Amino acid sequence: MESDTSEAKKAEPGSALRRNFLRAIGAGVACAGVWMNDPLRAATPAEEAAPPDIPGYDWRKHKWAFGVDATRCIGCLRCVEACKAENGVTQDAHHFRTWVERYVYLEGDEHARVDSQSDPGNIAASGSQQAFRFDNRYASAPVEKAFFVPKLCNHCTHPACVQVCPTGATYQTPDGVVLIDHSYCIGCQYCVQACPYGAREFNHAMGVTDKCTWCYHRITKGLQPACVEVCPVEARVFGDRNDPDSPISRFIRNNRVSVLKPQTGNAPNVFYAGIDKEVS
Amino acid sequence: MPKHIMRLMVLVAAAAVAGFSAKTYFTDKSYYRYGHYRGDSVAEIASDTPRFRGNAYCKSCHEKQYAAWAGSPHNKPSEGRHVQCEVCHGPVGLHPAREGVPPSFDERLALGAKHVSFGAQDGPPGKLPARKDQTECIQCHEAMPGRPAAQRQVELAAHAGTAPCVSCHDPHAPKISFSGMTDKPKGNAAAGKVLSANCAACHGPAGASTNPAWPNLAGQHAAYLITALQAFKSGARPNEMMAGMAAGLSDADMENLAAYFSGRSCKVSGADKAKVSLGKKRSASCALCHGPAGVSPNPAWPDLAGQNDAYLGATLKSFKDGGRSHPVMSSVAKTLSDADIDNLAAFYASANCK
Amino acid sequence: MIGTMAQAAPYVGYVYPNETDIPWSVLIVIYPYITGLVAGAFIVSSLYHVFGMERFRTVARFALLTAVSFMFFVPVPLLFHLGKPQRAFNAVLTPHWTSAMSAFSYVAGFYICLLLLEIWFAFRADIVSLSKTKGGLLGRAYRILTLGSDDVSGNALAIDHKFAFALAVIGIPAAGGLHGYVGFLFGSLKSREWWSSDLMPIIFLLSAVVSGIGLLVVLYVAYSKFRKAALDDACLQGLAKTMWAFLTVVLLIEGLELLEMFYKQLEGIEMVQRLIEGPIRYGMFLQWGLSLMVLATLSYLILTHARGRILATGMFAAGIGMMLGVLAMRWNVVIGGQELSKTMKGLLIYYPEILGHEGLLAVLFIFLCPFIVLWLVTRFLPPWEPEAGKEVSS
Repeated sequence: MESDTSEAKKAEPGSALRRNFLRAIGAGVACAGVWMNDPLRAATPAEEAAPPDIPGYDWRKHKWAFGVDATRCIGCLRCVEACKAENGVTQDAHHFRTWVERYVYLEGDEHARVDSQSDPGNIAASGSQQAFRFDNRYASAPVEKAFFVPKLCNHCTHPACVQVCPTGATYQTPDGVVLIDHSYCIGCQYCVQACPYGAREFNHAMGVTDKCTWCYHRITKGLQPACVEVCPVEARVFGDRNDPDSPISRFIRNNRVSVLKPQTGNAPNVFYAGIDKEVS
Repeated sequence: MPKHIMRLMVLVAAAAVAGFSAKTYFTDKSYYRYGHYRGDSVAEIASDTPRFRGNAYCKSCHEKQYAAWAGSPHNKPSEGRHVQCEVCHGPVGLHPAREGVPPSFDERLALGAKHVSFGAQDGPPGKLPARKDQTECIQCHEAMPGRPAAQRQVELAAHAGTAPCVSCHDPHAPKISFSGMTDKPKGNAAAGKVLSANCAACHGPAGASTNPAWPNLAGQHAAYLITALQAFKSGARPNEMMAGMAAGLSDADMENLAAYFSGRSCKVSGADKAKVSLGKKRSASCALCHGPAGVSPNPAWPDLAGQNDAYLGATLKSFKDGGRSHPVMSSVAKTLSDADIDNLAAFYASANCK
Repeated sequence: MIGTMAQAAPYVGYVYPNETDIPWSVLIVIYPYITGLVAGAFIVSSLYHVFGMERFRTVARFALLTAVSFMFFVPVPLLFHLGKPQRAFNAVLTPHWTSAMSAFSYVAGFYICLLLLEIWFAFRADIVSLSKTKGGLLGRAYRILTLGSDDVSGNALAIDHKFAFALAVIGIPAAGGLHGYVGFLFGSLKSREWWSSDLMPIIFLLSAVVSGIGLLVVLYVAYSKFRKAALDDACLQGLAKTMWAFLTVVLLIEGLELLEMFYKQLEGIEMVQRLIEGPIRYGMFLQWGLSLMVLATLSYLILTHARGRILATGMFAAGIGMMLGVLAMRWNVVIGGQELSKTMKGLLIYYPEILGHEGLLAVLFIFLCPFIVLWLVTRFLPPWEPEAGKEVSS
C-alpha cells in the first residue's frame, strides 16, 4: 500500500486537489489497516478470557497429545469404523478422519508397497464402503517385512490448515486441538490442500470440510477418543502431556518416538513408535 | 473542485461507512474472544453426545456376558489386549432407549441448529448384534502379513473353512479348553445298563445296533449322547421314534444311559474298499472337528469311526436336504455330492474306533 | 443426504485415501485464467495511460472495458466451487490475514472499484454527451452516471485526466497484486511439490499478461472485422513486441523452474516425471507447443515488419494460441498439482464432469459470460474513437 502512494506522488507534482484525494485514500488505507488488525479485539488472548462453557472442563489445564505404536497395530480397522460411527463421517472409502496404511516389503524390494482403505482390493474385500477390511493379497507372497500404520490429524503445533483458512473457521485451542467450526466454514477446501498429511476431507452433504477433533466432545468429558477406546491392542495412546503419568507421557518417555514429515515445520503432536523410513 | 468529483467522494465515503457498519453488525459476538474464531463454537463442538460409552455401561445390564468376557483372553490388559464390548458390537449410543436418540444429521440440518454437528448414522436402537458370520472375528484373527506375531491368527481355510466362528467359540470367552472337557461320564453306568433295556431292541444290548440304518452307541462320547437325547426330547432334533423314547427320560436317566453306552467298546462294521479310499480323500473338511480318523477331540462332537455307513449316509443327506439342521453341518453337507456322502460313510464305517 | 457425492478419482501407486476426492475442480482452473486475462488487458491500457505509449491509444479504452467485463466474473467460479457459497461473506466479515485467500475479496473488490472509477473518468465526457442525446431508460442510466454534473469544461477534463492517471498508476501494482496473489495462493503451499515454488507468483503474473494481451488482440481483430474498421498496424506491432517480451521471460522462468526441479533430484522426483509423462502430458504438450509456436510467429511478424493482412492474421492466430497455451498452463498447475499425491508415491487422475455445478458446461457458461457483458458494455460505452476507423452508430 505504501508503494502505491509513493508511486502516485512521484508521478506528477500534484495540485492541492490531488493531495486531498491522496489523503482521503491514505486515511482509508489506514482505517482498513486498523480494521484488519483489530488491535482492541486481539488484546484478549485465549488465556485471559473466561474459558468456554464446557461443564467440568478447563482448557487451560490440559495439553493433549496422541501416540501410535505401529508395532502393535493388527490392521483390524475397528478404529476407522468407530471414528465414522462416532463422528458421522461420510460413509465411503474416500473420506476419513482416521485411516490405516499397510506397508509391505517383499523379498528384494527397495520400496514398500503401500495400500489403504481406498484401495480397490480392500474395498472388494470388505464388500461395501461402509465396512473396512484389509484383503489378504500377500498371504502367499514372499513377505520380508510388513506392518500397519494408523494415521489421523496430527494436530500440529504450527498447523498449515489453520494458517490458510480464510475465515477463521478452523483454529487451534489452547489445549492443543485443531478444531473446525462447521457452521462457519465456507467450503473452499484450501485447508484440504494445505495439509501435508492428507488428514482433511470434504463432506459433500454438508458442503464443509471435516477433520479429526481427537473427539473433542469425548475428551472434554474425561473419555478417550473413539479410536483409542476401541483399539483392542493399545496401538493408539492418548492423554494429557501435563500429567507425567498419563499414557501419552509414558509412551513418549519410554519409546524413541518420531513425527511424520518433520521438514514441513508443522511440528505434529501425534507421535509414532516403530515406523519405517517409507512412512510419511 | 468540480461538482462531480465532490459527489464521487461522498459516494465512496458512504460506501466505506456502510461496509464498515455492515461488517461490525454481522460479525458474531463471540468472534475474537479467544482468537481469530467464533468463541462459542468450542463449547458447541464439545457438547456433542458420545456414542461409544465403554464397558461399564454394558455391564450394568449384561453381567453374565461381561463376566464371561472379563476372564477371557479378550480381556488381558496386562498384555495390552482389551477387546471391549463395543469393538465387536459397535457404538452403544442410547441403546436400549428408543427415545432421546440424538437427531440425525439431516434432522439437525432441518432444525436449523446453529452448530450442526455430524450426528452419527443411527442403526435401529434397541439391538446391538455383532455380526455372526466370520467377518467380526477375522478382522483381527485372519493370518495376515503385517500382523504382529503376538496376535493370535489362524489360516482360515485350514482352521474351519467357511464355518461361522461362533459354532465352536463363544465370542465372549473364545478360548476352547479341551483339557477341561473330560469324557469321564458323570452318570451311573450300572443304572444306565438297567435303563438300556429299552434301547436294546434297536441299538443292541451293548450299543451295537441291529440294523445299519440305526447308529451304534457303543463307545460314543457321553456328552454327545446326552446332547442328542436332550435334542430328541425337546424336539430340536425331530425323530418320531426317539422323541417318544426320550420323552420319559429325566436328566439323570440320560446321564446314566450315556455313561453306560460310552463305556461299551465299539466294533468296526467295515465297508467297500474302493469307496473307503475315495472317502478318505474327501474327509479333510470333516477332520477339523471329527478328527482325522473320525475320533473327535471334543466330547461335544460325535465320533464317526466305526459308525454304520447306512446311518452316516442318511444323516448327511438329512443335513443336506434340511431334514436336520445344524449351524456347521448343514453348510458342510451342502458341499457334498451323493457320491461323496457314500464314500465318506464308507470311510468312517471302516475306520478304527478304538 | 444433501448434495452429490464427488466421483472418486482413480489412482496409481499409493495416495492418501482423502486425496481421491480431488478438492479443486476445473472451476479453479478457470478462475486464475480469467484473473490473468484481466491483468493482461489492464496492463495494455496502462501502457498508454501511464507510460504514454501512444500506439496503444486505439485499444486503451477497449482494454479497460475488457478488463472490467472479465473482472466481474472472476469471483463466479469461486462461488460455484464453494461448498457453502451463501457463507462467502464470512471471509469478508472476519478475514483471517495469515491466509492469502482471505485477501481475495478485498483485493478483488478494490480492483473492481479502481477499474470502474478509471472507466468513469475515461468515459465521462462521452457519458455527459450521451446523457443529453439518449432518452428513456438508457438516458436515465447515463444521467445517473453523470452524478448530476455536465461539467466538461477544459479545466474539469484536465482534473479528470489527473485522477485517471493517478488511478492507472495505482492500478498497475494492484493488477500485479491481484495476480501475484493468485500465484502466491499456490506457491505458498508446502504440502504440494508441484506448487510449492517461489517463482509461482512471477510465472502466474507474466503468463497472465501474455494471455491478456492475446485476448485483447483476438477481440480487437475480431471486433474491427465486425465493425468493418481498419486495423491499426502500429498498435498491433506494439502488441506483438509486448507479447513477445513477456512470453520470452515467462518461458525462460518456467523452463528454469523445471530444470531446477529435475537438477535437484529431491525425493519423489520420479513421480514428478511420471506426472509430466502421464496425467498432464497433453496439457504440457499444449502449453509448451503453443507457446513456442506463438513465439516463432511473433518473432517472424516483428522481424519482417509485417503489416496489413499478414500481421492481422498472424496476431489473431498468436492471440488464440496464447490463450489456449496459458489455459493449458493453468490446468497443468492447478490440476497437475493435485494429481501428484502428497505421498509422492502415487498419481491421481482427474476427470472433469460434464454436467453439474463443477462441470465443463458450467465452466464454458462462466467463460462465455464476460464476452456477452463486454459486448453489452461496448454498446453502452463505445470505446472506439472516431478517427480509429469508420464509425458505426450503436
